[in-house]
Amino acid sequence: MEYWNPYIETLPKEELEKIELSYFRNILSYAKTHSMMYREKLKGIEAKDITSFEDIRRIPLTDKEELRRYQEMEPYPYGGILGVDIKDVTTFRQSSGTTGKPVYVPESYESWQWRIETWCHILYMTGFRPRHRVFLPFGYNVYVAFWEAHYAAEKVGCELVPGGALDTKGRIYKIIETRANAMMNTPTYGLHIAEEARNMGIDPKSLGIERMLCAGEPMPEATRKRLEELYHCHVFDHIGGTEPCAWGSMCEAKQGLHIIEPFFLVEVLDRETLQKEVDDGQMGVAVVTPLGRRSFPLIRFNTQDVVMKGKGGCSCGRTWKKIKEVVGRADDLRKIRGVLFSPKTVEELIREEFQEIVEYEMMVERKGIMDEVNIRIEIDPSAESKGKEIEKRLKEKLKIRTNLSFQTKIEPLGTLPRYTLKAKRFKDRREL
Amino acid sequence: MKETIEKIRKEIEDLEKSAERLKELSQDIPAIKRNTEAILTFIYIMKFITPVSPTFGVAIEKG
Repeated sequence: MEYWNPYIETLPKEELEKIELSYFRNILSYAKTHSMMYREKLKGIEAKDITSFEDIRRIPLTDKEELRRYQEMEPYPYGGILGVDIKDVTTFRQSSGTTGKPVYVPESYESWQWRIETWCHILYMTGFRPRHRVFLPFGYNVYVAFWEAHYAAEKVGCELVPGGALDTKGRIYKIIETRANAMMNTPTYGLHIAEEARNMGIDPKSLGIERMLCAGEPMPEATRKRLEELYHCHVFDHIGGTEPCAWGSMCEAKQGLHIIEPFFLVEVLDRETLQKEVDDGQMGVAVVTPLGRRSFPLIRFNTQDVVMKGKGGCSCGRTWKKIKEVVGRADDLRKIRGVLFSPKTVEELIREEFQEIVEYEMMVERKGIMDEVNIRIEIDPSAESKGKEIEKRLKEKLKIRTNLSFQTKIEPLGTLPRYTLKAKRFKDRREL
Repeated sequence: MKETIEKIRKEIEDLEKSAERLKELSQDIPAIKRNTEAILTFIYIMKFITPVSPTFGVAIEKG
């Protein structure tokens, strides 16, 4: 087995925990002296008093709303979340702003390189090597997405082909022209490239992609397998965000995601109380502390990512803790007619059992006192004659999987939006 | 492995001392100063990833 850093990837669990505790004390002490937000937030809490993980649980969580509030202060635009002198900031990044005002993220050269180092682990454990010519089918901008991937791939020794400023067809031609053999994309865009390639009369398998690393959206196992089938390649998932960095990734065993230790301290907390760590196999919210990033120190950041905690141990030999599955975003989970609904369940069903469905969109609306949930679908032209039968089967299966009755409608091919970055296939119109 | 890491760690710390001296000498030469700061950045990362004992991690306090 090949490791990026065999030493830290195979340290006994107990040693890793001691190191993380020590790093946690260090970053807490640093945050208290360098970040205005933590100077206020951590009043009365001293690093020397943190001697166990139970002590850590008594430290207040940090959420996105607080970051927005503290960033209103001086110095502009980072305010009280800044952890270094503003003259040491070398890159401006921001969160996507899908849940409100974007958070502006200050990266010093050092912190950026620290982020890239964590990404090198992701790439190495998913099999990216210097022999790979990696195609990145995106234009990079103020968002963090793909910048880290780009620089980490370069550091690992891969060759990068930046695929911005092209449409999907142009990107397919560029993959063929450069003979790129690896790719990083959102699962949705991976599916869309395959669809577009087939429309052009090109079998996605013939593109020669050997490895695909996905990001940006929760990816059900069925979607991952579908991508593997379409491209005849290895597909991997990882998890992270603009504020906490990328903190977990699949390895080549493809059995859950490893937490990148000792870079991150990750707690999976009970969703209701946000206090108790859940047991293995249970769902909880991921709370993340990046343990070495100083330009923007974050202590116990509530990511709002709902994950299923996994058991440790892996055939790859890494001793790092695991996440069994990424369930979705806490803010994506909805109560519909009293039933807890995750859009990921529908994505999973469609990719698993309805390969004739090329695109779909769901919407929940309030009709009188009742919630009504609709799904619009597009069907592959080769299965058009079976439209009614597919619709009927979909309704039945949706009822079984979600315990909700969906209204269904078939739309002409090309009606529904296609996404290159984060897909928004579920719309909740009840609060409008 | 631990023995090798301890030796690596010693070399990293020697490098750090040397880079700090270089930084002091290059205050009026931005080209040398900035390149030395880049070296110190990677020294910080190398210390972070070679914690040979829980108390021998990275000194996180920024000078």
